[in-house]
This record gives sequence, structure tokens and C-alpha cells, in this order.
Amino acid sequence: MSARGAPSYSPYSGIEERVMQEDGAGPASRSVLGADSRRQDGRLPEECRPAFLQVGTVSRAAGSAYAEFASTKVLVAVYGPRESRKAAAYSDTSRLTCDVKLAAFATKSRGKYGQGTAERELSDLLHKALVSAVRLDTFPKASVDVFALVLESGGADLAVVVTAASLALADAGIEMLDMVAATSLSLVGGHLLVDPAASEERAQDGNVLVALMPARNEVTQMHLAGAWPDTHAAQAIELCLDGCHKLDGEMRACLREHAATANGS
Amino acid sequence: MDSQLEAEAFKRIYPEEYFQRFLSEGTRPDGRPLGRARSTTIGFGAVSTADGSALVKIGSTTLLAGIKLEVMTPTAEAPDAGKIAATFEMPPLCSPDARPERRLEETSVVVQQVMNAIESAGLVNTKELLISTGKAAWVAYLDIYCLDADGSLLDAALLAAVAAFADLTLPPVRVNPEGHVLPVLSGAQGGNLRENGDASSEVVTVERRKLTLGAMPWAATIGLYKGHLIVDPTAEEEALLESTVTTILDEAGRLISLFKPGGITAVTTALIQDCVELTRHRARELKQILEESSQEDEDEGDESQ
Repeated sequence: MSARGAPSYSPYSGIEERVMQEDGAGPASRSVLGADSRRQDGRLPEECRPAFLQVGTVSRAAGSAYAEFASTKVLVAVYGPRESRKAAAYSDTSRLTCDVKLAAFATKSRGKYGQGTAERELSDLLHKALVSAVRLDTFPKASVDVFALVLESGGADLAVVVTAASLALADAGIEMLDMVAATSLSLVGGHLLVDPAASEERAQDGNVLVALMPARNEVTQMHLAGAWPDTHAAQAIELCLDGCHKLDGEMRACLREHAATANGS
Repeated sequence: MDSQLEAEAFKRIYPEEYFQRFLSEGTRPDGRPLGRARSTTIGFGAVSTADGSALVKIGSTTLLAGIKLEVMTPTAEAPDAGKIAATFEMPPLCSPDARPERRLEETSVVVQQVMNAIESAGLVNTKELLISTGKAAWVAYLDIYCLDADGSLLDAALLAAVAAFADLTLPPVRVNPEGHVLPVLSGAQGGNLRENGDASSEVVTVERRKLTLGAMPWAATIGLYKGHLIVDPTAEEEALLESTVTTILDEAGRLISLFKPGGITAVTTALIQDCVELTRHRARELKQILEESSQEDEDEGDESQ
């Protein structure tokens, strides 16, 4: 947008980092756990944030879900099965398209027009996490479109997006082998922090994300990055799997509750 | 159950007749009388990464407005004022008509109408966004996202924008001699920064402060259908209407905008007067809702402290 004119900046962006540098603490030696071995937000290392899940939030979508994990807020809507706009020629195959957007005010410093790379990466990873769970053979020649908008990025965004998206698919009645629950974990200064907040993610040395079909105990996506000591990696994956199973319980409760109110009215 | 299924089928096959049958009874498919808007809620501070934000729901229509502040050098023409830059987005999740590869035409119209209304009413005095004359001022980036497009988007977009400005707080800052704006941090967290900061920098805003808002603009969309005036139409109704008229009034009830995008209807003085009258009624409603919601917001704030 050329109309924006002269460039502008935020005096408060990156302030946490600058404060930490002035405190003389390097990224590795930063204290992430308090004396009582609790995190900044009062959680234990293996504790997930309280999750608020709701389905049927977008009136004109086939299915939709809103997920709020503390300050991470995500809205997902599913449209279809409908005619595929992308397919120019006749195609027998069905298509699952995923598109993730970040609201301009979702991040600490305002996203420049279209948050570009981050959005493309999230869209791609969401697609990979979901596609093997969706029964594509049930809607040949058609397309199911999954659209997610991150309203506030508060850490573990992808895990929340995947979780909300599979709830929205279930709400839309798209056949799946199982729902997909995802949990991520940050390695910060040797500590394993499940379901990290944004400040913990900024300080992390490594990250792992596991997307699981809990009833089948099959993993649709696992993504491990950073410098991981062997023992920690295995333990981290175990913690994530555990988190996915807990999340699955909440997802099913959310769908049951929605079905009960829909039948009741 | 059978009759319900039949009604659903009738609606699908003959949407126009379905709608007319309701109108002839003086009511609408969702049970509202023609002149009534849907229930409206405002949630302040919905997004903590924004400096000001509000979530507005009018029936199912849902809009989220967020404001982020950045520092700019004031222009030569207005060295003592900041500015507002607004966008309106209809991401593909909000409606089956919005697809990622194409922008809906409504989008650019809405943002212009919202900005015109805010400027005409004098909601924000851009001089209040000044940090230091000729050196630095705030630019308020207002981004409005449609989360659920179920008709009368402009009404909800304007309400969300007004509410986000009501929620906006300016953070404390100081300016160094070069005109660079630096944050002022309170407590232990910023102790070192403040000591290290050069002594010559001037503290401009000491505390977080709110804007003094001027007159607020209020909008109502009215659908025209065979001589009927239908207030706050849903998306389903909008698809059948001959046309819509969105009227925006300022605090004193003066007309500041009248927008009728296309459609074929005779526009008479009487019609305009009717629209203004209906909007006046809606404006009173909206004003009360905004006041009550901000009161509740303050009460909650007090309790949590």
C-alpha cells in the first residue's frame, strides 16, 4: 500500500529482548522457571494452557470452530464439499485446501500488509497435518476449503490451528478417520515446556510439534527442530502425545455439548 | 417435522415467495418486525496484542477491529498531528462468497465509508496523536476483520471501529533529541533501560492515556423491498432486496453519509426522511449499548484489580 507514505515503527517492539540483553542474560542462561519451578504464567512445565473450544461460530460456513488457548485465539471455517475453483481441467480427485491468515494486529509488531511467508508456511503445515485424516474418497471431484484466521498469536499457533481446524471439519460433517489433535513443546535452557506461550517460544532452543489421531494412535505430523539432546527428544515427544490425548477429550466434549444443544433446541 | 422440512424446501425453491409471505404478515424469516435490528453486543479489548480492539456482533454478523500504534514523522503540512490508516478485510472464512483468490467488491467501499464517517463526525482529533511537534506522532493502524458476514456489514464495521478507538490507550513514551521515540518502562523490568537512557531525552507521555473522543457516528442499513423498509437485513435478506441504503448520522443526528450501492428503486425525499428517522432510532439504541458495554468493561477492570 503506497498510500501509507513515510515508514513508521513501534517503540515497544522487541522490548522484551532488549530488556533481557541489558539484564546481561544470554539466550541460553535465561531463567524460564521461577524458584517454585513454575513458568511465568504460573503453569508447571508439563501443564497445558486452559483451552476454550467452541464449534458453530461462523453462521454461513459448513462447519466452524473457535479455539482460545490463553492468549492464542484462532477462528476456523470450513466450506464445502463444493466445486473446486482451482481445478481448470476435469479431475477425478478430491481436494483439501488450507489457508491460514494472521490478522495484522495478531503479532507484537504489526504485520506488514499480508504476513507472507509465515502464512504460507502455516497453511502448508496445516494441510499436511490434516490431509491424511480426511477421507478424500468421500467427496470426489469436489473441494473442501479450510480457512483459518489467527486473531491473536500467543504461542503454539500451529498446534491450535490444527486442533481448531479438525473440530471445524467435524462440525462440517466431513468424514475423517479420526480428529487430529496437535500439541507443541519448546525446549528452553534444558527445560521441556509443553504448549509454550509466545514469550517462551521466542526464547526456545528447540521446538517439537506432534499432530495425532488419538483414537488410532497414529501421528499425522511430527516436526522437530533445533538442537535436541537425544534423551530430551524422546521425552518431549511423549509429553506431546500425552497433551494430544488430553486435548482430544476436550475436543470430543465440545462436539458432544454442541450436538446436545442443537438437538435440544 | 414434515412441515418443517416442507418449509425448508419451499424456501430453497421459491426464496422470493418465502420472503414475501413473511412480509405480508408484517414480519421476517427470523421473526423480527421490519423495523427491528438484531441484538448487538460489543466486547472491548478482545485482542491483547493490539493497543485498542473491539469485537462487535450484530446478530451473526461479527467484526473484529484492532488498532496498533506506530511512530511516524509528521508531514510538513500537518506538523502537529498524527494520522489514521485503515483497512477492512473479508478473509475467506467469513462467507462462502469470499474466496482467497478474489477480493469482494464490498471491501474497499466499507473502509472508505468508515473513514469518511469517522472524519466527518470528528471522532478522533488527530492532534491528540502528536508526540512531539514536527518530530514524532502516532499513526493509528486500524484493521477491521469480518469474521462472519451475515449482512449489514457497514453498520457493524463502523461500530467496531468506534469501539476500538474507545478502547485505545496511548503508551507512555519519551523522545530523545534526535526525535527518536523510546518506550518508558515502569517497575523493575525497565529499570536498567531507564538508567541507560540518555538524560537529555524528554518524557512526553508519562502514563498510559486514552483519547478524548469527539462525536460518534452511527450507521444503519435499511433494505428496500417492494415499498417495505427493512432495518438491518441479514445476508439471506440482502440477496433478495431491491437495494439497500446505509445512512450514517453524527451525534447530533445530522446526516453525514447516505450510501445506496446500486439496485433499482425510486429515491424520494420521503424515503430519505424515513431512512434518517429509522437510523435516528437505531443510533439511540447503539449509543446505549456502547455506554453499557464500556461501563461493564470498566466494572470488570475494577474487580480484577
